[in-house]
Amino acid sequence: MQSRKVISKPQKESLVSPVIAAILSAIIPGLGQILARVVNRGLIILASFVTSLGLLIWRIATEGSRYTGWRTVVSKAYKLNPFLYAITALMVITYIYGIVDAYLTARPGAKKSKAIGMIFLIILVFFMQGWEIGQIDMGALFRDADEAVPALSKVVWPWEKAISYPEEYRTTIIDVQTPCTDVPFPAGEIKTDEPYLIADPTCGVPSVVEVSQGTEFHVVGGNFVPGKPVEFWWKDSANREFHHRVDGDYLIVTPDKDGSFEVSVIMPYRTLTAAAEEGVKVWQIQARQLISVGKAEFSEELKLAVEKMIETIFIGMMATFFGIILAIPVSFIAARNLMSHSPVTMAIYYLVRTILNIIRSIEPLIWAIIAVIVVGLGPFAGILALTLHSLAALAKLYSEAIESIDSGQIEAIQATGANWFQVVSHAVIPQIIPPFVSFTIYRWDINIRMSTVIGFVGGGGIGYLLAQWIRILDYRSAGIAVWFIAITVAILDFVSADIRERFV
Amino acid sequence: MLQIKNLTKVYPDGTVALKNVSFEVPDGEFLIVIGLSGSGKSTLLRCINRLINPTEGEIIWNGIDLSKLEGEDLRKARRKIGMIFQNFNLVKRSSVFSNVMSGRLGYSRTIPSMFGQFSKDDIEMGRKVVERLGITSQMHKRADELSGGQQQRVGIARALMQEPELILADEPVASLDPVLAHSILKTLETLNQEDGLTVICSLHYLDLVQRYGTSVVGLREGEVVYRGSREDVRKMTDEQFKEIYGAEAERVGASIEGSVKG
Ligand SMILES: Nc1ncnc2c1ncn2[C@@H]1O[C@H](COP(=O)(O)OP(=O)(O)O)[C@@H](O)[C@H]1O
Ligand SMILES: [Mg+2]
Repeated sequence: MQSRKVISKPQKESLVSPVIAAILSAIIPGLGQILARVVNRGLIILASFVTSLGLLIWRIATEGSRYTGWRTVVSKAYKLNPFLYAITALMVITYIYGIVDAYLTARPGAKKSKAIGMIFLIILVFFMQGWEIGQIDMGALFRDADEAVPALSKVVWPWEKAISYPEEYRTTIIDVQTPCTDVPFPAGEIKTDEPYLIADPTCGVPSVVEVSQGTEFHVVGGNFVPGKPVEFWWKDSANREFHHRVDGDYLIVTPDKDGSFEVSVIMPYRTLTAAAEEGVKVWQIQARQLISVGKAEFSEELKLAVEKMIETIFIGMMATFFGIILAIPVSFIAARNLMSHSPVTMAIYYLVRTILNIIRSIEPLIWAIIAVIVVGLGPFAGILALTLHSLAALAKLYSEAIESIDSGQIEAIQATGANWFQVVSHAVIPQIIPPFVSFTIYRWDINIRMSTVIGFVGGGGIGYLLAQWIRILDYRSAGIAVWFIAITVAILDFVSADIRERFV
Repeated sequence: MLQIKNLTKVYPDGTVALKNVSFEVPDGEFLIVIGLSGSGKSTLLRCINRLINPTEGEIIWNGIDLSKLEGEDLRKARRKIGMIFQNFNLVKRSSVFSNVMSGRLGYSRTIPSMFGQFSKDDIEMGRKVVERLGITSQMHKRADELSGGQQQRVGIARALMQEPELILADEPVASLDPVLAHSILKTLETLNQEDGLTVICSLHYLDLVQRYGTSVVGLREGEVVYRGSREDVRKMTDEQFKEIYGAEAERVGASIEGSVKG
């Protein structure tokens, strides 16, 4: 006891009695503590209480916004979001704790306590409010997981889509005659190594509008590619081709595992006048199948992703390049040591610094949105946005490098009798090149990362593609894009770390 | 012969760093400038090679008034005055050898030297100087990788490359431990005795002053308050020293013998 008295500062005497302090804290939380001369604690309690009460009222108003009359709003809000009960309960506990704390601190000769419990309660209240406002829903992580897995697995391993086989229509034909004559028209024959069609009968008549249905041909096909759809076409005697329809839909048949199928097709209407087709003519039934030909090749998506990745890297590169060119001169007028010799230059310094800080504090994505408005969609918008941001960031870093130049080294070279150019080349450049290179590489790194997402807002590059693929739910292609981004960024990380290490 | 006549330096902020300072330094002298921190030692040395411009007075060296020189003439004069600094002031990120070679800049053609190209003779000279100062094995290291004592040797090598007649050393051993301090000062002494260079060196420690100085100038608040020969200095007691110098004066505390090895 004795030793504690020595260590802890005797507390300043409270201005009010404990009961009054408690009552005051009941009216305005924290007021009791303030008058008990623990002013900071009182202010923190007051500010926290006002803030959390304001947040609670806002949440209640939002939850119950569809109702009128404050009673209804409140009751509906609590019903819709029972979590608000917990928050309210905790706030009440905190409030009561505040009253008790005020009573205890206002007691004469009370020890200065740390109010850990109070701070813990306040933090807990804000934590719960954050949980509620953030709509944190851990269940969502698992609820639809089974739906997310196929999509995510496509993103994780998208390479099936990276290769494709060139496809081509292969047309297999069988001739039929119209009309039938005494001489039997030859049927097709069964072939062993190529697809074939056999029609039965081998002759017939076309349909006539609103009068009669044409002859129904029973068509047997063999040696087709199993599982790949086959479509049917007609070619009339004047070599006009038309897609065969059944009740307005195209007829599609899928060959069985042996590559065979059977189908009935009704001879369609003529497109020529009957007069034009007088006499014995030959029509053709065609079975067309889209089949893979030749070797596997890179898919269109892969090629597109590669192209856009190249575009991305160049957006980052050009932005860095322009950023450097613009930042170098600006960095000189943003360097305090160079600008401190007169009030005018000092004013310029502050102005430039302020502008740079503003530009830098706005995210490149927002600059990209602005740039898209100005120059339209595409890589140029991305380059503009990143250039602007790089300019601001680099100019600041460069100017700091200039500010930290050691004048002793300059004097030492001057003292040897060197002229201005020699002083610059031997004392100034060696000092600023390493930080310049290091900052520039760092910036290049950031720019390429940024250029991968700048496309999300229309700034060109792979982000644009990625956003589109995600929108059309083409997760495989999106996966390819994600992989490219990851690989590029990883390589870049490695390279830039390596280069920077050499210079610093 | 270097003659300082009525030298006064007033800094732009009104600080009078030197007041009417006059003294002479005959060739071949090892002159030590003593004085409290802030007494104007650095200002004096920097006025001589015009790293700062004196406000008034003359600095006559070999018949030329250094204080009036400008441009090419000034650079020609600076070539013959080597300077050594307390913080070494090496170009930290450059190699030791390139730091040494920078002492040759005043003699080199601008454009090639800007790209680090020096004549064969200059490079040969650089090798010899590096060898003389015992830093050959460090030649290709970055300057800031060296220890303090080695860095100061690089600083001396750089000054020697100027083929100087005068060396200004501004507290050259203040950042070094006593053993290294002796070793550096011995190097300067060798240059003074064997090569006949005039040395003007500011120092803090009485035993170093007594050991190396052939003549002493004491400064206090920018004014010369003491002028003594070698004999005067040898006889000087700590009390006298403190009187000129101020309470900061102290002995370095390491034996000279110890330094021979270091
Ligand atoms: N660049 C400067 N501007 C203003 N005052 C200075 C400057 N350099 C030195 N001084 C002042 O001049 C006086 C002498 O300084 P200096 O020559 O560095 O002394 P010393 O080297 O003996 O410590 C000191 O009062 C110091 O504050
Ligand atoms: Mg000094």
